[in-house]
Amino acid sequence: MSVKRGVKSLFAGLERFFFAEEVPYGLALVRMCLPTVALIPMFRRFFRVRELYSADGCPQQLAELFGNGRLLPELPAEFAAALYGVMLFALICGVFGFRTRLSFLIGGLLYIYFNMLDAIGTMTKYSVIAAHVLLILSVSDCGAVWSVDAVLKRRAGSGGLSALPVRVPVWPARLIQILFAAIYFGAAITKVQTPEFFSGEQMRYWLVSNWNWPNPIGELMALSPALLMISGYITVVWEVTFPVLAWRPLGRFVALGMGVAFHVMTIFALGLWIFPFICTTCYLAFLQESDIAAIRGILRRLRIRGGWLGRPRVIAAMLLERRPVMVPLAGIWLAAGLAVAVGSVEADYRLDVYGIRGNGALLALPAMDTATVRQMINSQEPLREKDKFFSFDIGSMVMAGQLANSRSQFAAGEVIIAQCNLNPPHEDLWVECVIQDAEDRVIDVAGQFVTRDQLFAKFNYMTAEKLVPGQYWVVLKSSGQEVSRRPFELTGDVSVEGGAEGMLSN
Amino acid sequence: MEGWCGMKLRRWGAGLLICGYLLLLSWGIIGHALKIPAAGNTLGYFVVWDMFCGWQAFDNRTHFIAEDSAGNYYRVQEPWGAFQPFGHVDRVNYDVSNQLAPRHIRNVLSHTDHPPIDRVYVVQEIWPKQFNVPDRLWSSYFHEPKDQQSYFNLRAICAADGTLIESNPDWYVAQGLKSIADNPRLRTQAQGASPFYNTFFNPRLAAEANSSFSAADNGLTN
Repeated sequence: MSVKRGVKSLFAGLERFFFAEEVPYGLALVRMCLPTVALIPMFRRFFRVRELYSADGCPQQLAELFGNGRLLPELPAEFAAALYGVMLFALICGVFGFRTRLSFLIGGLLYIYFNMLDAIGTMTKYSVIAAHVLLILSVSDCGAVWSVDAVLKRRAGSGGLSALPVRVPVWPARLIQILFAAIYFGAAITKVQTPEFFSGEQMRYWLVSNWNWPNPIGELMALSPALLMISGYITVVWEVTFPVLAWRPLGRFVALGMGVAFHVMTIFALGLWIFPFICTTCYLAFLQESDIAAIRGILRRLRIRGGWLGRPRVIAAMLLERRPVMVPLAGIWLAAGLAVAVGSVEADYRLDVYGIRGNGALLALPAMDTATVRQMINSQEPLREKDKFFSFDIGSMVMAGQLANSRSQFAAGEVIIAQCNLNPPHEDLWVECVIQDAEDRVIDVAGQFVTRDQLFAKFNYMTAEKLVPGQYWVVLKSSGQEVSRRPFELTGDVSVEGGAEGMLSN
Repeated sequence: MEGWCGMKLRRWGAGLLICGYLLLLSWGIIGHALKIPAAGNTLGYFVVWDMFCGWQAFDNRTHFIAEDSAGNYYRVQEPWGAFQPFGHVDRVNYDVSNQLAPRHIRNVLSHTDHPPIDRVYVVQEIWPKQFNVPDRLWSSYFHEPKDQQSYFNLRAICAADGTLIESNPDWYVAQGLKSIADNPRLRTQAQGASPFYNTFFNPRLAAEANSSFSAADNGLTN
């Protein structure tokens, strides 16, 4: 009996979770913000449609990368330009909520098509997230409020502009929320499967990569291993707990707040610009009716008026109402879409991507210096010893098995930890750590094999009583060649009793 | 009555959609966690969240160099300006698997003016990533002079239409192979072994021959 009641209450809970009715303010905000962000990179590519997405260019389909062949048709440039224009138009219509579902259905499918056509320069994981959300919006009632459709509907009805907004089941917003829980959980699994994420190597190399936009803070962070390790653990804990916290009354503020902070950090640390805004705009799906009421209350108290924000959709609706009675709204949408398609074909022609019309002929290939080319083609240069190492540093604190600080001054009796970080792939190496005094006299030498799978190697040196206060060097050698050296100063009383004899160990 | 039916249908439709979507997301997560190949395909890309799964310690750029019959060399780069999709790096460099190379060659050569091209060299340029650190940071963290050196690796040779003529291992793979080949024991064993493709004995053909023989001889088998 109790099992039956339990199952019944579970189903009731699920029904409440997915089918509770609310005014879809959160979804309407996602509708306005997400496509706007997704459109930014797509607008940039409008000038290259012929090159990136047409049979007259060099698209690289996503399916080809997975060995599934060319699944999608590659259209002649004029058709590709026309469809691309329709995609932009449809998504803009979606933002304003004009024929919302139709717009997102057409815009979303074309968005997926063009992304899949160019897996190298267009398709990324943020396109995938945007594609999911656009398709969810196409089956939702996100156009029920704050949209041209809603204004038209209200003006056509008896309620006029003061009519109460409609309440609809919340399941589309829930799907977006669940999507994000899945994204973060999946991302955490990826990190758990990558040990180098927790030891900081993966992040370090990402932070010094220049594949995205400039990331000055990331470059600074890359040189702080402790910060990388700590932020790595925090990230994974947040990603794993996101699905647990996201639907708790207070927990969601923690989960979403940390999410916003995390994504904003990726702007400065990794040079990502679109990805963070795609994600944070989707967080708007977590907003409930009560949150909007609270925000409205705050704005009212601060005397901030937002009525002007709705003016464009009201004006658009008034213009649309002036159409001839026999012309349906979908007809207006189609006619405008057709005009945009024709305009896009014309734009593609005028843009003259390959510069053939502007130049009056084909552009010439730039010539290269023969000596430089021969050096590039025939180069068999072996890797320099120093290029097998990322860095070499000395310090005294270890975190997660790695050196976590950098010091150049030690007190007599302290243990000096020297660590070299290696750049994989490297062969098995014999690495030495040499202690020299200011006159370059060798005091101690220690060596160890560093196998090809190792990403770092550590040497501990106990200063104890062997060294007297003064200036010294720790020299890193690989295959007998000096790779790097770090100076340090030993301070303190000479007579300090050391716990052990000065020695190098590893 | 119609309204009630319509509502029920909508509710069922939404329920099915929710279930389908949740199954799809679950498939992506489980497939990715357990590394099931079923998730590693085109559709899987849409449900697998493997952000930042890979990394490399060396940075690389790909150079395409065309050679004409007179021995002159040309850079096979878009003279109309290469598209830089995600920053300041040309699109062709984001092609880690080199699958775009033939099309890139074909597209640039077919839209540019040049003498007849004999071959196109695809060259990888590699350098350690620490040299990407700006000078001001370099001087405060690294104590050595910033002495960057690029390494070049001839990745492939293609015809003017992008057809592959010769392919060499990727620089990263080549480094791994070199370090393995550096082991004298393995080298000796590899030299001692002689992998071959047997054209003298084929079990399937032998079985077929035997079965036809046995059929002809009324069940005589070996």
